[in-house]
Amino acid sequence: MIKSMILKKNCKFFIICATGLLILSILNSNSPAEIYTDQAGRQINIPARPQRIISLAPSITEIICAIGCFPLLKGVTQYSDYPDEVNNLPKTGSYIHLDIERIIALKPDLCIAIKDGNPKLLVTRLDKLKIPVYVINPKNIQEVMKTLHELGNILDAADKAAEVVSDMQTRLDRIKKIIANTDKRPGVFIQIGISPIVSAGSDTFLNELINLAGGCNMAKGNNPYPRFNREKILVMKPDIIIITSMARNYIFKKAKAEWARWPSIPAVKNDRIFLVDSNLVDRPTPRLIQGLEILVRLIHPELF
Amino acid sequence: MTFNNTHIIRKILLTIFILSIVLILSILFGISFGSTGHSLHDIISVILHRQDSNPMISTIVWDIRFPRVILSILTGGALALGGLVFQAILRNPLAEPYILGISGGSAIGAIIGILTGLSGFPGINITSFTGGILTLFIILLLTPYYSYERNNTLLLSGVMINALFAAVIMFLISTIQDSRLHTILFWLMGDLSNTTMSQTFFLFFILLPCFIVIFMLSRHMNLLLMGEETAQTMGTPVKKIIIILLIVTSLMISSTVCNAGLIGFVGLVIPHVLRIILGPDHRVLVPASILGGASFLALCDIIARALPVHTELPIGVITAMIGAPVFIFLLQRDRT
Repeated sequence: MIKSMILKKNCKFFIICATGLLILSILNSNSPAEIYTDQAGRQINIPARPQRIISLAPSITEIICAIGCFPLLKGVTQYSDYPDEVNNLPKTGSYIHLDIERIIALKPDLCIAIKDGNPKLLVTRLDKLKIPVYVINPKNIQEVMKTLHELGNILDAADKAAEVVSDMQTRLDRIKKIIANTDKRPGVFIQIGISPIVSAGSDTFLNELINLAGGCNMAKGNNPYPRFNREKILVMKPDIIIITSMARNYIFKKAKAEWARWPSIPAVKNDRIFLVDSNLVDRPTPRLIQGLEILVRLIHPELF
Repeated sequence: MTFNNTHIIRKILLTIFILSIVLILSILFGISFGSTGHSLHDIISVILHRQDSNPMISTIVWDIRFPRVILSILTGGALALGGLVFQAILRNPLAEPYILGISGGSAIGAIIGILTGLSGFPGINITSFTGGILTLFIILLLTPYYSYERNNTLLLSGVMINALFAAVIMFLISTIQDSRLHTILFWLMGDLSNTTMSQTFFLFFILLPCFIVIFMLSRHMNLLLMGEETAQTMGTPVKKIIIILLIVTSLMISSTVCNAGLIGFVGLVIPHVLRIILGPDHRVLVPASILGGASFLALCDIIARALPVHTELPIGVITAMIGAPVFIFLLQRDRT
C-alpha cells in the first residue's frame, strides 16, 4: 500500500517533470538565438523575434517606429520625441548617461545602441549583464538604408523596412534629378550652434544633405563641428545661412537680428537666412530625406 | 601613561563602533534606493539570499547598486583621509587634495589616458597616478623646505597649479573634438555610475594598505601639529614621515579620481566636523575620517540619485554645494 503510494507520487512527479521539460523545449525551439554581427563588428546572440526592445538613442527610436515595430519598444531614452506615441514610454536616462538599473528592470531581450553616441563603457556593461546590444553606426544616407534593412531582419519586419527604404530611394532619386538641372552651387553656411557659432564639417549628415541639395558646405573640413567667429564668416560670404536648431522661433529671430548687422554677407543682403528643424537633418533616420527636401527648396527655390 | 593608552584605545574603538553603525546604515540605505523602486522586503530577501528573491532585483542590487555604494564609500573614506593628512602636514585647516591640485593632476593624467585610447583598467589608473605624483613633485620642487613660514607658499602653489590644470583640462577638451567628450565632462564633476565589482575590488586593495600606513603614522601626525622642530626633538623623522604621507595620499587620491572623477570638499568637511566632535588626536581622527567620509559620500550619492527625475546629478555638485559654504565659514572663523 505504502509502496504503491510512493510509486504514484513518483509517477506524478515524473509526469510533471516531463511536461515541464517538454514545454521548455517547445519554448526554446520557438525562439532559437541567432548570431548577428552588428555595425561595430561585434558578434551577438539575438533571440529570433525579440519582443522587448529598448532603444538607446532618439534616432534609433525613430527607425524602429518607422519600420512599424513600435509595439516591441519597451523603453526609450530622453529626447526621444518622434513619433508622438513614444512620449509615453518609460525613459532610461539620456543616451550618454544611461540608467542601467531601469534598463534591467524593463527586462529587454534586445537593446539597440548607436556607436557615435552611447559610451562604449555602457555597452560593455550591458554585455556583462547578459543583455544583447546591437550597435548601429550609420555614417550616410546609404548606411541609414542599410541599417533599416538590418533592423528589419532582426525585428521580423523586413517587408516594412524594404518599403521605407524604397520610398526614401524614390524621393532621393527625384531630388538628384532636379539638382542635375543646374550647375549653380551656392555657398551654404550651416549654423548649428548660435553662441558660440558652431558649424558642421565634412563627416556629418548635414554636409551630405547640403551636397545632395546642390549647395556647397562652407565649413567642410576634418573637424566635424568647427567653431567660427563672425570675422571668418564675413570673409567667406555665404549665399545662404541655415540655422538648424531645436531653438524655438524667438531664438532664431534673435540670431537672425544678429546677422542683420552685417549686410555685406550675401545671405543677409538677400534675406536668405532660414531655420530648419535640427531633428530632420542630424539624426540618422528616414526623416533625413524630408530634411533634404526642405533644404533643396531653400537652396534652389528657382527649380520649383 | 598606561592609563592614557587604554583610554585612547577605548576612545578609538568606541568611535569606530559608532561610525561603523552609521556606515552600515548608509550602505543599506544606498542599496535600497535607486531609479526603480522596490519594496524594502524584496531588497532584504535579495540581501539575505532567500529562495523567493526576484532574480531581476538581485541583478539590480548586486550588479548596479552595490558596486556603486562600495565605490562611494571607498572614495569618500580616501578623500576625507587625504584632507586630514594634508591638514596635518601643512598645519593649515584649508588644505585638501582637491584644493592642492593633486586631484586635478590625476584628472589630467586620466584624460590623457582616455584620449590616447588606453583601456579603462589598468591603463588609465596608471596615467592618473602618474599625473597625481608629478603634481606632487612639482609642488615639492616649488617649496624645498618644510618650514613653518613656508606653509602658505605650499598651499598657494597648490592653488595656482590647480588653476593651471583647470586651464589645461579645458584646453584638452576644446581642442579635441571627440564623442568621448561628454563622458569626460560628466566625470569631471564626479561620476559614480559606471562601476563594476572588479573595479571596486581593485580600488579596495589599493586603498586598504594606504589606510593602514596612515593609521600607523597617526601618532607622528599629532607631533607634526606641534611644529616640525618640536616633532624633530620628540624623535619624529619629520622629512621622511612627510614624504611617505604625501606619496601614500596621492596614490590614494589618484586611484579614487580615475574611478570616480573629481569630487571636491569631502576632505575639508569631514575632518573638520570630526575634529570639533572628537578633538585633535589623529589616532582617533584617522579611522573616524575614513568611516565618516565613507558615510558622507554614500549619503551624498543618494541625494545625487534622488533629486532629478529622469537622470542624476554629478556627485561633485552635491559635495561642492555642501563643502564650499563650509570652506567660507572656516575662512571667516580663522580671521576673527
